[in-house]
Amino acid sequence: MATFFYPPAANSGFKSTDRELAAVDASVRWPVMVCFLSAVHWMVVGTFLLVYASSLTHPQDTFPIVGLLVDLANNCRFFTYGHIWPAAVDALVYGWASTAGLGLAIWLLARMGRTPARAPAALMTGIVFWNLGIATGLTGIFLGDSTSVELLEFPAYASWILWVAYALFGLWAVATYLGRKPGQNHIAQSWLLVALFAFPWLYATGTTLLCTDLHSASPDLSHTSDQSAWVYPLPGSGVMQGLLSAWYVHGLFTLWLAPLGLGLLYYLIPKMSGLDIQWGSRAQLAFWTWIIFAPWTAVHDLVGGPFPADTVTVGLILSGLICIPVVLIGMNLVGTAFRGEEQQGHHGGVIFPFLVLAAVFFVVAGASEQLLSVRAINQVLRFTMFRECNLFIWIYGFFSFTVFGAIYYIVPRLLDFGWRSSLLIRAHYYASLYGILLMVAMLGFGGIMQGLTLESSDPLTTIVNADQVALSFYIASTMCIALISIGNGIFALHLGWMLLDWLRLRVRRSALASEILLEPYEPEAPAKATAGEVSA
Amino acid sequence: MNYPFPKFFALVFGIFMFTWFALIVLPWITLGHLAPITDPDSTNIKPWDSTGAAHQGELVYAAYGCAYCHTQQVRPASSGADITRGWGTATDDTDDKKEVTRRTYPRDYIWQHQVFLGTSRAGADLSNVAHRFPTAAALYRYLYNPYILNGHSSMPAYKFLFVKQKIRGLPSDDALVLEASDAPPAGWEIVPTAEAKSLVSYLLSLNKGYHLPDENGYVPRTSPSKS
Repeated sequence: MATFFYPPAANSGFKSTDRELAAVDASVRWPVMVCFLSAVHWMVVGTFLLVYASSLTHPQDTFPIVGLLVDLANNCRFFTYGHIWPAAVDALVYGWASTAGLGLAIWLLARMGRTPARAPAALMTGIVFWNLGIATGLTGIFLGDSTSVELLEFPAYASWILWVAYALFGLWAVATYLGRKPGQNHIAQSWLLVALFAFPWLYATGTTLLCTDLHSASPDLSHTSDQSAWVYPLPGSGVMQGLLSAWYVHGLFTLWLAPLGLGLLYYLIPKMSGLDIQWGSRAQLAFWTWIIFAPWTAVHDLVGGPFPADTVTVGLILSGLICIPVVLIGMNLVGTAFRGEEQQGHHGGVIFPFLVLAAVFFVVAGASEQLLSVRAINQVLRFTMFRECNLFIWIYGFFSFTVFGAIYYIVPRLLDFGWRSSLLIRAHYYASLYGILLMVAMLGFGGIMQGLTLESSDPLTTIVNADQVALSFYIASTMCIALISIGNGIFALHLGWMLLDWLRLRVRRSALASEILLEPYEPEAPAKATAGEVSA
Repeated sequence: MNYPFPKFFALVFGIFMFTWFALIVLPWITLGHLAPITDPDSTNIKPWDSTGAAHQGELVYAAYGCAYCHTQQVRPASSGADITRGWGTATDDTDDKKEVTRRTYPRDYIWQHQVFLGTSRAGADLSNVAHRFPTAAALYRYLYNPYILNGHSSMPAYKFLFVKQKIRGLPSDDALVLEASDAPPAGWEIVPTAEAKSLVSYLLSLNKGYHLPDENGYVPRTSPSKS
């Protein structure tokens, strides 16, 4: 089979030639591989669920097979849309993006510190618990324990597991960073540290203030009756829940996933292209302005709602300034990536294009956030499928391409074993690229059409008209997600194939070694040299 | 990165605190302890808490993820067409024949355990759904099969919230009245489960048929010294 695909796969020679780096890679091999493998597993699960969820948004007769799925959703409580959709998004955000992000962070922190990782067992425990938490959470959603708070749907018993897991990982990461070799400083480390710090903050406030039942609904009645006790309800009551939820959702994308991805791009793009970061002196400014302005994108979900008008106005202005870091980061990353491609000729290999696209999609995601910061546009697009479009640009556009590029780059260095086929990598690239491009086009345009119908000044226009307009775009988006899922499937199979081959070769090698060792000892036999080769 | 770790950490922490304070703490000072308004002519307060069954229904609403497609917020006429769509119109609490049309205010939500403001309008806004579906029977029918009323609906059917049972003696009061294609065979009926009943009581409690002083720019803050 291998000969059918070109070029013939190499079985070794991928280890870093720098001894120090090779030692670092060896020390984090298993934690990072487990992160990547479980992430890819969640990606497959999430994408499958997403296709399912999306197929439920249009009537049965669109595709023949969908009728069966729709019947299942209508008649079985586990598979209703309100379970499938959050399970899909959570599997993608926590299972796929965050788990892969943990792997990236481990590899980058260890590598940039140039010290072999200590306590890999603690790290492994953290990763195992992290996956356990996600599995528990998804099961909880299907069983009907979903909290229905966007991106915090995991029931409390699952978020505790995630908490413990993250605590282990976070401690390891900070210890690794602080134990780095002196002088090993890079802008990518700032991005990673900010992500590592933001996640516990976000997740702690989100789960305690929105998902625990500390606050039963008790409006303050102290001045209507004569009670002297002054009750401060916790922040998570009333419409504060809406504010907190918006802050959490946008924080998760702009302060957790985006910095993880950017950290990797700031490290890998110059490394792979062999160029310095273009306009590199602006990288610091881009970093600080991003963490100041980006979390304010939360107000995109608040405009016109029952919230203080001044908060929304200030928020729109601040989130509008997101163009500053987006342009700077674009100049840094897209500029470097394009120059790299120019110098390396057409597409600069099969892996680099993934990173180029990731950088481009970061700018696209920034532009889409920028659009939503304009009040008039926000009014039209706020409740439409444009919001889904924005979500998919972040997950499938920016973050997935970053992680794909990273996995293609990192895994051969960890296993010292090559990918099996560049044809499959290209097929994965084009399926993902056209899938996400079509999806952005369909959901973006569909969002505008749906929004214009919802905001029409004609009082006779109803939700039925908006549904009619949205319907064809929902059908189109199901097909786009299916295309993306084909790309993802190719990727997962390719990774599996590579691992199987790697395993087979190792088994063969060790069988060979034991055969050699079992042979009767002969003083000057060449067997000695072979055994030495194997152990090396 | 060029900063020593403590300095870097302090800067990041400061920026996060700034965002947290401005985006969460400041609004909380205004909205965190809103009280109901006392009606000057009677002992009533508004908004008033909904029934226990409705609070049960909130849990069902959460468990089945209704909030992923339905919002519960009516924006003012100045920032959206929600009022034009008729989502701001409610049945007056004191007089069934009258209507109250207005946006929603933070005070409307103070009794809800979980507030489902929502982010998507794949479906209609439900702030005042009880005005459009005034009876439980209409809501049961819609939940059982949305396509009857809206052929383009993207809402899934919730048939698992109902059970088909043999009629023994007289038919149940809350048995669904269905069109021919959906109707059960003779001698059988389709009735809502306990979950469906509490979900529908919750939906029927969604009606903001009262006026609030906030409509005239009432400053919602109350101070602790006023007891």
